[in-house]
Amino acid sequence: MRSARRARLQGAGFDLALPYLLLAPSVLIVLAILIYPLWDGLRASTQFWRYGKPLNDIGLDNYIALWSDPQFINSLWVTVRFVGLSVAIETVLGLALALFCLREFKGIRLLRTVLIVPMVITPVVVAIVFRLIYASDAGMLTAFSETLGGTPVQILGEPLRAFLALVALDVWEWTPLMFLILLAGLQSLPSEPFEAARVDGAGPWRTFVDHTLPMLKPVLAIAIVLRAIDAFGTFDQVFVLTRGGPGEATRLLSIYGYDTAFKFQQTGFAAAMFVTMGLIMLALALAAVRLLRRAGPT
Amino acid sequence: MTASLAAVAAFRRRAMAADLARVFVILALLLVVLLPIYWMVAASLKSNQEITQDATLYPHAPSFDNYRHLFSEREFGAFLTNSLGVTAASVLLALAAGSLGAYAIARFHLRFRLERVVGLSLLTLRIVPPVVILIPVYLLMLSLNLLNTWLGLILTYTALNITFCVWMMESFFREIPVDLEEAAMVDGDSRLTAFRRITLPLAAPGLAATAIFAVIVTFNEFLFALVLTATPAAMTMPRGTATLIGRIDTDWASMSAAGVVGALPIVIFALLVQRHLVRGLTMGAVK
Repeated sequence: MRSARRARLQGAGFDLALPYLLLAPSVLIVLAILIYPLWDGLRASTQFWRYGKPLNDIGLDNYIALWSDPQFINSLWVTVRFVGLSVAIETVLGLALALFCLREFKGIRLLRTVLIVPMVITPVVVAIVFRLIYASDAGMLTAFSETLGGTPVQILGEPLRAFLALVALDVWEWTPLMFLILLAGLQSLPSEPFEAARVDGAGPWRTFVDHTLPMLKPVLAIAIVLRAIDAFGTFDQVFVLTRGGPGEATRLLSIYGYDTAFKFQQTGFAAAMFVTMGLIMLALALAAVRLLRRAGPT
Repeated sequence: MTASLAAVAAFRRRAMAADLARVFVILALLLVVLLPIYWMVAASLKSNQEITQDATLYPHAPSFDNYRHLFSEREFGAFLTNSLGVTAASVLLALAAGSLGAYAIARFHLRFRLERVVGLSLLTLRIVPPVVILIPVYLLMLSLNLLNTWLGLILTYTALNITFCVWMMESFFREIPVDLEEAAMVDGDSRLTAFRRITLPLAAPGLAATAIFAVIVTFNEFLFALVLTATPAAMTMPRGTATLIGRIDTDWASMSAAGVVGALPIVIFALLVQRHLVRGLTMGAVK
């Protein structure tokens, strides 16, 4: 009886082939459009290209050349500064807001709805929104300044200001996500330790440092790493807001890689740059996985 | 007695102060989020003269001329069609293929533990950032003559979405008890019928959450669209918008109208499905 039922469930013929047939479409598409290109990209990164054609194999020379290219070093440094500053501000702001909104109150649903908008709105359009804020002739800042009797505000023409303007854009776009993740994390914490702390007469700051922060650490760490990976690959917003300028002040790695490949036609060199970029992001992702593991079973 | 009354009054005062602070913070947040968007929408209803010379704070003579101009002379109708078509096709394909694959991974034990190998490979690919394959995907589409076509974009977006769909759907299928399917099969259903009648309806919320996330990411995608398309025949909304902006550096009126048109479909979509969206966005980190 039991074996009959098993045979029925396992089946034969078509039924035996079924799982392979179910897997086939995904596997085929991924092989053709993710894995083959991945291999092809690795190969291209070890070749010397000119005018869109590979000329000869040069081993790891492209990878070595990267580190003596001052423009690459500059872009890497700009990217690291951009990621570090943006993610730090977003984490602190997001955490503060999440703590503030922890108690249910009227208006939180409206707030949530509004906070969704910056993170779903097309990144290219976010850049337009911010160009309309920063523009010295038509921008919101200039309009406010002139309404108050001041002079036009110059932002995107000046290196440091342009960089900070880009950070501000990222903070506007992604603090809401940080806030929502950390709020969900805070709401999932057990309430007993907090009650105990209150009975012991601990103040809000001590409670935060001794209880909230340690318990929130796994969620906090993962949120930070995920955001950092995402910020590391930022492209659209810079492409439309500053195109990497003025000079090289906002030229992130992604922008420099794109220009190297599609403007300067140095395909092999650009491929090496993108692979290096991918490796850095992969390292960040592996750090996230390790954090997840240490946080215990999920 | 009076002391306790005073204490209650002090407590109430403090509670009221906290409420006031909360209201103030919420209003400040709403202002920070909405004011930039308001500014773009307002500018889209002004003329260039009003934007740059008068620098008004609201449109004094609102008109939809900027929008009409986008559709009559800048091919925004084509961009919109391309975006909707490409997004719908690639999300549906990825969802169909991905769900079947995820079901196989969640339910079957194959030879050589193939289902685990495939599952782990897809998860690993999910971690690889898409920029790594930007150049080779361009070269692939170039060699297949698929540059600047819907098909080239659809194939690329399907592949980029599929790893996500498999990963999400696998966890949803695992939450559905096997017993339900087995009961249906004992009653005479085939494996596929049981999947269609029992498992798929139960996985519908997961399917919806996955689809919503994929739609937003795909509709907004810019980097691959920038590299793979070049004319209104295949340019998507973000691609077309960015190109227009490259050409009309100081035509702020058209630029802001383009921004509104470019973002409107996806913002409306997100607000309609926001309940699923917040769950999906935060789930990955907290779960």
